[in-house]
Amino acid sequence: MDPLLLLESAINGALVGLMYALVAMGIVLIYKSSSVPNLAQGSMTMLGAYVVLAYANNAGAPIWLAIPLGIVTMFFVGIGIERVALRRLAGRPIIMILMMTLGLEIFLRAGTMTIWGGTARPMPIGISDAPLFLGPMLINRAYAVGALVAIVMFGLFVAFFRTRLGVVLRAISDDYTAAWSVGISVERGVALSWAMSAVVATVAGVLWSSVQGADQSLALLLLKGVTVAVLGGMDSLGGALLASVLLGVVEGVASTVLDPMIGGASRDLVDAAMLILTIMIRPHGLFGRHDIERV
Amino acid sequence: MLFRQAGIFHTNYAADRALFPVPADRWMIALLLLFAVAAPLYMNSLYLSSYMLPWLVWTAGTLGLNLILGWAGQFHLGYAAVMGIGAYAAVHAMRAGIPFEIAMILAGLTAAVIGIGFAFAALRVKGLYLALSTLALQFVMDWTIAHVPAISGGTQATLQAPDIRLLGIPVTSDAGLYYVALAWCLLVTTFMLNLKRTALGRALVAVREKDYAAAVIGVNSFYFKLVAFATSSFIGGITGAILIGTFYHAATPEQFSVDVSIQALAMVIVGGLGSIIGSYFGAAFILLMPGAMNSFISWAANLFGLSLGIETLAHLPQALYGALIIGFLLLEPLGLGKIYGNIRDYLLVWPFGYVKK
Amino acid sequence: MSEPIAASVLSLNNVEVVYDYVSLAIKGVSLDVPEGGMVALLGANGAGKSTTLKSISGLLTAERGEVRRGDIRFRGQSIGGLMPQDRVRLGIAHVLEGRRVFEHLTPAENLMAASALHSRQDMARNMERVYTYFPRLHERRATAAGYLSGGEQQMLAIGRALMTQPKLLMLDEPSLGLAPFLVAEIFQILSRINRDEGLSILLVEQNAIAALEIVSHGYLIESGRIVMHDTAAALKKNPDIQEFYLGGAENKNFRDIKHYRRRKRWLT
Repeated sequence: MDPLLLLESAINGALVGLMYALVAMGIVLIYKSSSVPNLAQGSMTMLGAYVVLAYANNAGAPIWLAIPLGIVTMFFVGIGIERVALRRLAGRPIIMILMMTLGLEIFLRAGTMTIWGGTARPMPIGISDAPLFLGPMLINRAYAVGALVAIVMFGLFVAFFRTRLGVVLRAISDDYTAAWSVGISVERGVALSWAMSAVVATVAGVLWSSVQGADQSLALLLLKGVTVAVLGGMDSLGGALLASVLLGVVEGVASTVLDPMIGGASRDLVDAAMLILTIMIRPHGLFGRHDIERV
Repeated sequence: MLFRQAGIFHTNYAADRALFPVPADRWMIALLLLFAVAAPLYMNSLYLSSYMLPWLVWTAGTLGLNLILGWAGQFHLGYAAVMGIGAYAAVHAMRAGIPFEIAMILAGLTAAVIGIGFAFAALRVKGLYLALSTLALQFVMDWTIAHVPAISGGTQATLQAPDIRLLGIPVTSDAGLYYVALAWCLLVTTFMLNLKRTALGRALVAVREKDYAAAVIGVNSFYFKLVAFATSSFIGGITGAILIGTFYHAATPEQFSVDVSIQALAMVIVGGLGSIIGSYFGAAFILLMPGAMNSFISWAANLFGLSLGIETLAHLPQALYGALIIGFLLLEPLGLGKIYGNIRDYLLVWPFGYVKK
Repeated sequence: MSEPIAASVLSLNNVEVVYDYVSLAIKGVSLDVPEGGMVALLGANGAGKSTTLKSISGLLTAERGEVRRGDIRFRGQSIGGLMPQDRVRLGIAHVLEGRRVFEHLTPAENLMAASALHSRQDMARNMERVYTYFPRLHERRATAAGYLSGGEQQMLAIGRALMTQPKLLMLDEPSLGLAPFLVAEIFQILSRINRDEGLSILLVEQNAIAALEIVSHGYLIESGRIVMHDTAAALKKNPDIQEFYLGGAENKNFRDIKHYRRRKRWLT
């Protein structure tokens, strides 16, 4: 096989992977603060994209205004989800919490479809279709922009976690009883992490729908996000970023090599295999600090 | 349920440990059984084959999932895949000329063998990670069924199932198919009812509560988790085979996709973890809800003079379904089974509510 | 109400706590901490000391516990229904058992996280104050708290509580797992804080010898009940306390040891 083709798939794969990181970071933010594995992150991504589209198409706002408006809206949607659905489940068994996020997944996805309909819509954010040339290799411009935004978001989160408020959030994720004992409002911290997660979901939704159009399949990004989050260690943002590049490269190369052999659609298989392998071999991921209770 | 218990008068252990210690319960169950057996006589065949039959089959499936979720406490997000394995195994066996009885057993065994594969995930990790690994296995299974023509039966991906024959007699009438489903559902129910009273059932509960604590008192949690996964998959496999044999009559990958897994999970949660009667309620609720919801929505739309778009009508029931799961988890996390239990406990001693139950 | 209510910063009146709706952890505990005083609550494992503290700081809800009866007053105000963070705002600080520092944060960040309720200026001033009391924290301010030694972690936990500008500092077994010289050092600093700033302290301890050296009064709790209350000096002299909490057998002639242990007389 042509090594240049493989390199091209690896680079494009890494860029796509970084776009997965946007979904994974949302999962990590929530898991860090409250140990809730949010299986609704995919449909939050989808909802985010549709909210932005609603501002742009239905309310007629220009796209540069619709995106921040959508982000602000989703910020409060995130707070609302935590307040209504998750707060009362604190301390319940993990089965209940997982089922709750699955219920939210169904509700948000179908709710979005109910309001805005299921046909795919374009998300014109002004990235041209022309590829970037890196020597003889073609790099997808939309992926490059998405990857860049992912890195910027990551940088913003890292910076945020050094501020006073960020330190408070990290304290909550360390030990919430101790956080309570020094006057930190744990519920508000958790709500804030949901809000931030909804914001990053919106960003992911906008970028992904600019690549593939806004439709129901955005919710399927959940599988990618979960795989990246687990591989990175569930509660490490840096781990998620690194894992996303790893997954993207493996996926890109594997699909270039495998697709002609088995007739396409090997990406999802590679994802599932990565997820299973991670859980079997290194359940705490690359940088997870959570010690998993083993039998 | 409208009966009162004036005291407990068991004079030997056998009576105390009977499946239904309250006589009125026994009468009620006998009556229900009579109704169930006589259903083809008084029910029209549409109701019989499109409501009663899938309800019974799905109840058996829900019980199987409840075994792993409610009794053994292991999360399983890939139950539809297990059912699918059973279904495809049975259809292929039947197309190869193997009689339905044996094809069912084969389906159960195949599902159990692959289900043990799921169990190996359970033996290494728990909780979230177990849930995610079973979810991943569901995706692998979906993919395999859809992409391997030898399994899915080619490009149309629809595999016709031959008519089922029991003891050489073809079963094609609605009533006949209904009795197959009823027999299987009752068999699974009886098994689950008795499970509570066996060492296996108690060991599973011990493993659920704290597996290392169970290990300390000599319960081999490794072994019992394996048994739980194998048994549950066996039930799931046969249920899948019966679902295809009596209801769908043809197998497609979508019948066993991840959405179906979540639906099965919803049946367990809505019915109540570890509750047998709840499994009946949960399956009925989740199966009947979309239809009821559709009628309700169009009725409400007419009432308020709204004209709902086709998109809205298509997705609104699904959204309400999600909302219902959320609602149950918030309001009654132990589901319909618990609600039934509360009402029953109340009526058992009514009007002496202060009596200790 | 014959007790001098006005002078006490904290008073518990007949408080009863139930976990999970069934298990009764403390059964009618009453105690007073005078303004600017230093009081010890002594007792063995499982006597209900930590539960008492959690009922005051409001951390019971996190463990499915509930104050079912009785009244908790802080400076005359009933605080039964308040959330933990509101109690911290009023000036109650609780140093949890087993230190519980934020392990992945540095000491400086630990202190920062604890001043969520205060302005930046207050935070800087409080931090300065904590570093004066515990210079060792300043030396190690940039390492992750999980890597600090046990004594340093305990200092950090106390310093973190001081960041909330408390009126009442409650400590749950600060001597747990520490070398005797460290216990002495920490207790010395505690009595200095008490003396210099007039901060009221409620100290929960199993290590009665060390605790009775620095407090003015002591309560003895057993099986969820207060069974004795006196000045520290009187408690030290009490033969029962000596026997059961102070290791009083040490100056006994072993020939005279009887075959039965002395019975605890306060128990029925």
